[in-house]
Amino acid sequence: MEPVRITGLVHDYVTRDEEGNNTETKRALDHVELNVEEGQFIAVLGANGSGKSTLAKHINALLLPTQGRVLTCDMDTADDRYLWEIRKSAGMVFQNPDNQIVATVVEEDVGFGPENLGIPTEEIVQRVTDSLAAVGMTKYGESSPNRLSGGQKQRVAIAGILAMEPKCILMDEPTAMLDPIGRREVLETVHRLNREKGITVILITHYMEEVIDADRIFVMDAGRIAMQGTPREVFTRIGDLQELRLEVPQVTELAHLLSERGIPMPPSVLTPEEFVTAYKEVAGNTEATARTNVVGLLENEPPKAVGRPNADVSAAGSPDTEAEAPVLSMRDVRFVYGVGTAFETVALEDVNLDIFQGEYIGLIGHTGSGKSTLIQLLNGLERATAGTVRYLGEDIFGEGFNRRQLRSNVGLVFQYPDHQLFEATVIGDVSFGPKNQGLSAEEIRERAEWALTLTGVSQDRWQSSPLELSGGQKRRVAIAGVLAMKPKVIILDEPTAGLDPAGRDEILGEIDRIRRETGMTVILVSHRMEDVARFADRLVVISDGRIVFADPPRDVFHHREKLTSIGLEVPQVTQVMQMLSAEGIPCREDAITVEEALDGFGVAGA
Amino acid sequence: MLRDITIGQYYPAKSCIHRLDPRTKIVGTLLYIVSLFLFRSFSGFLVVGTAFAGVLILSRVPFRYMLRGLRPILMLLLVTVLCNFFLTSGEVLWQWKFLKITREGLERGAFMGVRLILLIFGTSMMTYTTTPNQLTDGLEKLLSPLRVIHFPAHEIAMMMSIALRFIPILTEEAERIRKAQMARGADMESGGPIKRAKAMMPVFIPLLVSAFRRAFDLAMAMEARCYHGGEGRTKMRPLRYRSADLIGYIYLACYMATIISLRIWMKI
Repeated sequence: MEPVRITGLVHDYVTRDEEGNNTETKRALDHVELNVEEGQFIAVLGANGSGKSTLAKHINALLLPTQGRVLTCDMDTADDRYLWEIRKSAGMVFQNPDNQIVATVVEEDVGFGPENLGIPTEEIVQRVTDSLAAVGMTKYGESSPNRLSGGQKQRVAIAGILAMEPKCILMDEPTAMLDPIGRREVLETVHRLNREKGITVILITHYMEEVIDADRIFVMDAGRIAMQGTPREVFTRIGDLQELRLEVPQVTELAHLLSERGIPMPPSVLTPEEFVTAYKEVAGNTEATARTNVVGLLENEPPKAVGRPNADVSAAGSPDTEAEAPVLSMRDVRFVYGVGTAFETVALEDVNLDIFQGEYIGLIGHTGSGKSTLIQLLNGLERATAGTVRYLGEDIFGEGFNRRQLRSNVGLVFQYPDHQLFEATVIGDVSFGPKNQGLSAEEIRERAEWALTLTGVSQDRWQSSPLELSGGQKRRVAIAGVLAMKPKVIILDEPTAGLDPAGRDEILGEIDRIRRETGMTVILVSHRMEDVARFADRLVVISDGRIVFADPPRDVFHHREKLTSIGLEVPQVTQVMQMLSAEGIPCREDAITVEEALDGFGVAGA
Repeated sequence: MLRDITIGQYYPAKSCIHRLDPRTKIVGTLLYIVSLFLFRSFSGFLVVGTAFAGVLILSRVPFRYMLRGLRPILMLLLVTVLCNFFLTSGEVLWQWKFLKITREGLERGAFMGVRLILLIFGTSMMTYTTTPNQLTDGLEKLLSPLRVIHFPAHEIAMMMSIALRFIPILTEEAERIRKAQMARGADMESGGPIKRAKAMMPVFIPLLVSAFRRAFDLAMAMEARCYHGGEGRTKMRPLRYRSADLIGYIYLACYMATIISLRIWMKI
């Protein structure tokens, strides 16, 4: 049996007007050829809109080919007779954990597939028990899905597929909406199923770290397979990947840059461990081959504080800022949810934090750590159970304090742009904030145009509906909607969630530019260390409702063990530098970006 | 958190009433409601009260939870009772200008009040001891004979169960959207009813869009898991009557027989 064989697959999305006339044809898949062997772990990579989800839907017969042929487990998807057999053999896990769970009890949801297949009751019970055990969710069998974390919900969804006894599992960006812990849970589960039960896995994603263990990678671009091969083969083509809006793991990039600069690192380093081994070998060989530049490098002290790309980082805790009054300050803040009910939970405890004008704060913590609560306290959407929050020295819940005014000074952009976009046009939507501020029509228009220009939304989009935009564009409009109120502080909750690597870097670059141009204070909430390490002056790490660190990134990353213990990781490149340094190899131990690490090897700009 | 609020008012306990088949409880509640309208004198309440008290004790649901169930209908109760007090003609006991209370009015008001209270107690008993899921299952099974006349019993039950799953999710989402708009200076609290209704648009539209998206996603996920309606579908937890249900039905039959015979021979 061959799990998937695709030949010459073309898919057109056709838009029709009311009379049924074909108004627009968009080619989503363009002559795709793809074969998957039994028991393989396959990854399909691609930027947003590259056609990878459409491809997955074809394998599951949720879409039918415009041209070409798709064979799933040797059955033609175009043949009606095989429909249920195909869907049973190639189960599909979708991106949004909430939108694929049907029942109100975990067990019943897992049983949903077998029920549809008409399996006898006793066997369903057995399959449900086995499937829940296989994804490690046995003890949640009787829980409500609403009480589970994102990672747990995705595991329930996988169990729901397993209960149909599939030969192949398709996963359409299953981790895009999860935090790092959830991602790890889901990936470990599918890898185990692949290894132990021999189930073929097809994982669609744009996270490169997730695919280094795959047997084979297909990279999609504009509906075509642009590259394929083993992870090592694909990841050596860094330039090509970047052109396809993707990225490689930081260690791979670093090794590649080193070899470009004359240090003979192998081009296909995929993990920190591989990097350290390879580098040690290179450094050891240098005596024999007498490569002067490497020897010279090893003898030199690593250039510690030389040429820090973000030297202004050190200003965060320096005397001149301490003298200044903070924009926002929290004192002994405690926040309790559902006071007096059975569901009382302490979300924040003992929180003391000062945020200064012009600072770039990275707020890091897991889902449920209290970070969302914290940002809502800062603009008065929630009121602290105890303690005070002050804006420019004034208690925001003090007598006569104007909280609506505060919200336009402390702008908050929530995670999902879809939660705030509602007007018919982009510019109308961005005007909503200034309109609420009671500005004149002229000023409102000026503000909206200013904000849209600043976030890089091109003018020809201003009159279109926000719902028609791509994920990255929506995000920009949402940010513009808050910027248009000209806040002094802007808080962004997970602004890069769900974007592909290039889209993520663009948004982060945009935010940094806005901050430099306007002098705004930025608070960026994220669970990706790499996102915040590059730009933030200070990292505020929060865990279980308490602030664990509030220091410059470099200082925070020194405490790798503590971070690991609360489930956070330092950026991969920092991790490698720390490992090298532990082996006694001179390098820049405190490097937090690839550029700094290069700099530490004394080859930057070479 | 909103997600923790369960819909309905299930009171978790392990009693024999909780364990009854939902069909038994639905049928029981319906017959109980009918029985309340079968008599016209206070003595009938004695029978109903005794029968209900028995079930209440067995169910282990605290009596104050029953009282709590009355809270939403307090106004209705008050209006019913007062209207009967003042608007029934008969032997005048007390009069002040055009307001008068009659003996018949007092009796009727009290009678209506007690009947309404017992009605609510009975239905609360069902919702306190049956999860919304079980109720859905029970309804599906009870209505399934109607499939012969093309009544979509399975589809209705499936819709109810999906609604139960998504109501808390959408409630939470509505709250998040409200906050996102408040963060943009939206004013949701002040102004008259029209202004406030207009102020809800920025919440309503994104919520609607999201609900449609979820519906679309869910439909696709259900199809991918081979859902194709109720035809040829089996159940993981099929409803099965147990001996306790037989006892329940016997209890119910005795109760109805008592009420009906009292009605016929004692003219209560």
